[in-house]
Amino acid sequence: MVEPIFNTERHVKYYLRCLKTFLPSAYISNDSNRMLLAYLTLGGLDVLGVLQSKTTPEERQGYIDWLYHCQVPTGGFRGFSGTNFGDERRTADNEAWDPANVPATFFALVNLLILGDDLSRVKRRECLEWLPKLQREDGSFGEVLGPNGTVEGDRDLRYCCCASGTRYLLRGRTGKSVEDVPDIDVSKLISFIEACQSYDGGIAESPFRESHSGHTYCAVGSLLFLRQGTDNIEPAQLVSPGSAKFEALVGWLASRQTDKLLGEEEGEEEGEEDETEGDNQEVSPATEAETGTESVDDLIRGLSGMTPIAGDTISCAGFNGRCNKLADTCYSFWNGAALLMLDRYSVIDDARNRKYLLEKTQHLVGGFGKGVGDPPDLLHSYFGLVSLAFQGEAGLAEVDPALVATKRTVQHLHSLPWWS
Amino acid sequence: MAEGYANDTEWANVTPIELDDGSESGAMPLATIAYPPEYLEATSYLRAVMAANEMSERALKLTKDVISMNPAHYTVWIYRARILFALDKDLVEELNWLNGVSLKYLKNYQIWHHRQVLVSSRTHFPTMPTKEPDFLMEMFAQDSKNYHVWTYRHWLVRHFKLWDSPREIEDVETLIKADVRNNSAWNHRYMLRFGPRDDEPDAGMVNAGKSQSKPEEKGRLPVVDEDLVDEDLKYAQKQILRAPENRSPWWYARGALHAAGRSLGEWEEFVAKFVEGDEVKSSHAVEWLADVYAEAEKTKAVEMLTMLKDKYDPIRKNYWDYRIRMLGQVA
Repeated sequence: MVEPIFNTERHVKYYLRCLKTFLPSAYISNDSNRMLLAYLTLGGLDVLGVLQSKTTPEERQGYIDWLYHCQVPTGGFRGFSGTNFGDERRTADNEAWDPANVPATFFALVNLLILGDDLSRVKRRECLEWLPKLQREDGSFGEVLGPNGTVEGDRDLRYCCCASGTRYLLRGRTGKSVEDVPDIDVSKLISFIEACQSYDGGIAESPFRESHSGHTYCAVGSLLFLRQGTDNIEPAQLVSPGSAKFEALVGWLASRQTDKLLGEEEGEEEGEEDETEGDNQEVSPATEAETGTESVDDLIRGLSGMTPIAGDTISCAGFNGRCNKLADTCYSFWNGAALLMLDRYSVIDDARNRKYLLEKTQHLVGGFGKGVGDPPDLLHSYFGLVSLAFQGEAGLAEVDPALVATKRTVQHLHSLPWWS
Repeated sequence: MAEGYANDTEWANVTPIELDDGSESGAMPLATIAYPPEYLEATSYLRAVMAANEMSERALKLTKDVISMNPAHYTVWIYRARILFALDKDLVEELNWLNGVSLKYLKNYQIWHHRQVLVSSRTHFPTMPTKEPDFLMEMFAQDSKNYHVWTYRHWLVRHFKLWDSPREIEDVETLIKADVRNNSAWNHRYMLRFGPRDDEPDAGMVNAGKSQSKPEEKGRLPVVDEDLVDEDLKYAQKQILRAPENRSPWWYARGALHAAGRSLGEWEEFVAKFVEGDEVKSSHAVEWLADVYAEAEKTKAVEMLTMLKDKYDPIRKNYWDYRIRMLGQVA
């Protein structure tokens, strides 16, 4: 059998194209997420180990200047330069239309760190003063502050994670010189996150919603970020090995691995929206008569037995993000990163995950697609790379699962004054 | 679509604010997009009206134009909602427009949040807009597991106290009937049956997150209607029989038992019928038995886990080994 190959050169080319040429117009629906797109690009080049060699110091300085160009005068960062109508026009009445954005602030800070900036131009105090204003009564965080300081955006763990991450980056180990800035309500946030665990062990965007791997990652990430600087708070059950919540979570994450792949499903003509995972069993129709006339015993007796599955018949297995959905590249990352943070990565089948990524979603021109045969995009490319980096793929830098940046970037963070 | 704002008399008194991407001050923009000219023009007028905090009909029209090109723009929606309320616009009309936009951009979530912002106005909607459930079913016909649509529906239930509304459970059952593996529908059913019956912001946390409650009490109902739980368990059994390898009803049943403070052992007899000697009719039944045996019969539990690892679930071999080790046994 031919060993799957990780095509470093192609990936580097793909990323350099994304960095140095215009993204196609189709990306305008992602205009407001440019800070995230920037992170996916810089992060990809850093994980590939070529950020320093393929960009000049002048270019890196230019990128740093653009990131600071996206900083809002009152602290925090915009998601893109498109909301900026000029500092000279900014007033208390219109500033809500050009607000700092929670995810963008986190990604801007990570971008600066990836580029080796020392964050000296970050309005650190203002940013930390802004954070608690985004926290709601129930402990969750919003996305932006609207008119009159209202908290806008869904109740959603993504914002909780980016807020916890920002607090982590800027307060650091010692909170040096910001001791007097009021902190967020950490216990309330932890309570909110724990309430998001669903009956099946996974974690949803908010309490009693359906568990989802992206939100599960955000929950675990937040809890790890929050550990820093809160020694007096009892660790959350969710991240305490041996607790029922922890073990249910690990079991749910392990259950996400599947050989039913998006792009390879039967009845593919139904298109992308149909991401339902089938199994090889027939579904009986749901008729009243069926259970009305026969006893449950008879019905079970009538079911056919499963055929044992030989291990060597399954070569690839990726991950889905919800129960009964199909594998998609980014979920190799979301589930894998959560398991890595919980120190339980070993429960998954890494060899089959690697084969899935390399043989099924790695693209010929470089990058990764979402499903089998899909064209590459920035998000799936980065998460495909990082999932392989977690498994020690040759040629990729080691990646920290919480910050989702290279160990080099994390070391740089730890060299900042408030971390020593 | 934009016909060109620069030549439109309605916009003659507005000076557009060009995009300042920082390049003039020497910065090198990241994630640059090949913007079409009509997008650049519309957004430069948007910056101008936003800077003036203008609440007007023309600004409202402009937001629609920008949304049609970039529905994920995070401030344009907040601005639009603000204008709608300021001009006292007909919100039902807005909902009708949103229906079309939602069907066009199935993966967008800002649209749903905007809908929630509008419908949450008690002044305009003291009760649920009557066409909501029909429209949501239309959305589910496109994608029955759309996360944002389910989030909105969850919010509707809490906001208008619809836990016992016949339409809710009917729609859930229709969707499960059409696709028994629709885990989103199963989850919604769980929320209707076992979720907190309060629309306070932290109601979702009453039994799940209070820091003073003991971990084993979390997720439990304060008062249990045993008949309702029995009915639900019977429903789950019926659906398991339709497709025994489908995880959703198995986990639903676990959740129902947990919420009621009842044990997995209660289903031992039912579950054992799926595992008779070498004939296994559901791997989830094997796992269920392993959990039941884990309490007092560790050897039997290991037998079950070994069966999963060797025969029925080889992808999770490492996980089943982990579970065997957790029982204090050698894998």
